[in-house]
Amino acid sequence: MNLFISGGCKNGKSLHAQELARDMAREKCVPLYYLATMIPVDEEDRARIRRHLSEREGWGFDTVEQGRNICGCLTPSARTVSGAPVNPGGVFLLDSVTALLSNEMFPLDGPPDLHAAERLAEELAEFACRTGNTVFVSDYLYADGCRFDETTEAYRRGLALLDRTLARLCEQVIEVSFGMKYYYK
Amino acid sequence: MILIFGGAYQGKLDYALETFDIAPDDVFRCTRDGTLNPEKTVICGLEDFVYSCTVRGTEARDALASMVPQLRDKILIADDISQGLVPMDATDRAYREMMGRTLIWLAREADSVYRVFCGLGQQLK
Repeated sequence: MNLFISGGCKNGKSLHAQELARDMAREKCVPLYYLATMIPVDEEDRARIRRHLSEREGWGFDTVEQGRNICGCLTPSARTVSGAPVNPGGVFLLDSVTALLSNEMFPLDGPPDLHAAERLAEELAEFACRTGNTVFVSDYLYADGCRFDETTEAYRRGLALLDRTLARLCEQVIEVSFGMKYYYK
Repeated sequence: MILIFGGAYQGKLDYALETFDIAPDDVFRCTRDGTLNPEKTVICGLEDFVYSCTVRGTEARDALASMVPQLRDKILIADDISQGLVPMDATDRAYREMMGRTLIWLAREADSVYRVFCGLGQQLK
């Protein structure tokens, strides 16, 4: 089953997503993968990654580093950080769609790619279809009272496209508000 | 009257057209010039109407209240802008507060209220 989880920042989305992914992998007796989407650029990022790694300790996740080209980790040559091959039949936790779009849209070595969201929407749909057991985590950042600059609006519009695409095709859609859950389906 | 609100880019209009089987040309899109034509079944982008009221110094709620008879069988769609940072710009701040007053009033007047999240609806009333 594919799941989509969103909500505000620091509302408990990641923890709930981890629980759901772990339980799904246990139930199906398949490997459990954490798709690490952040490409660290400074010490703040590295500290966040260390914190996330320690929070996942003992959960049984094998980490797959895939900050771009998300379907790349489903190729036969793909390996986890522990060196194991990636089994597309496993359970994947993709946290987060937000970081993935940021990496695809704002490459470190070039201008913003304003068509990244359309391309990524197709890639994520393919990923969901090929794995069938992915928990997607995104961020709800659509309730601001001011208009941002054009590039920021393009990013918000792009992320909303990914969210709507995933919410449509996932079997379960959950909004997490301060640890509470609302099930849209 | 049906009220549909939700964050920006959440697919509120598509949700309304699909759920209530409305033709795409039966939609009036508000702009910041402040006109509101209540002849179409769906009136969307209500936040832009509220913004124009803010700029003109009129109260959007009062303007809408004077149109209640024409709005009875309509579907109104608005952005929820209530959960972000306090805007730096004074007009944006006043607009955000007027949006809140307007949506509280509309939600009370409406027969049903929906919130759209990532293209999916939740009936609140």
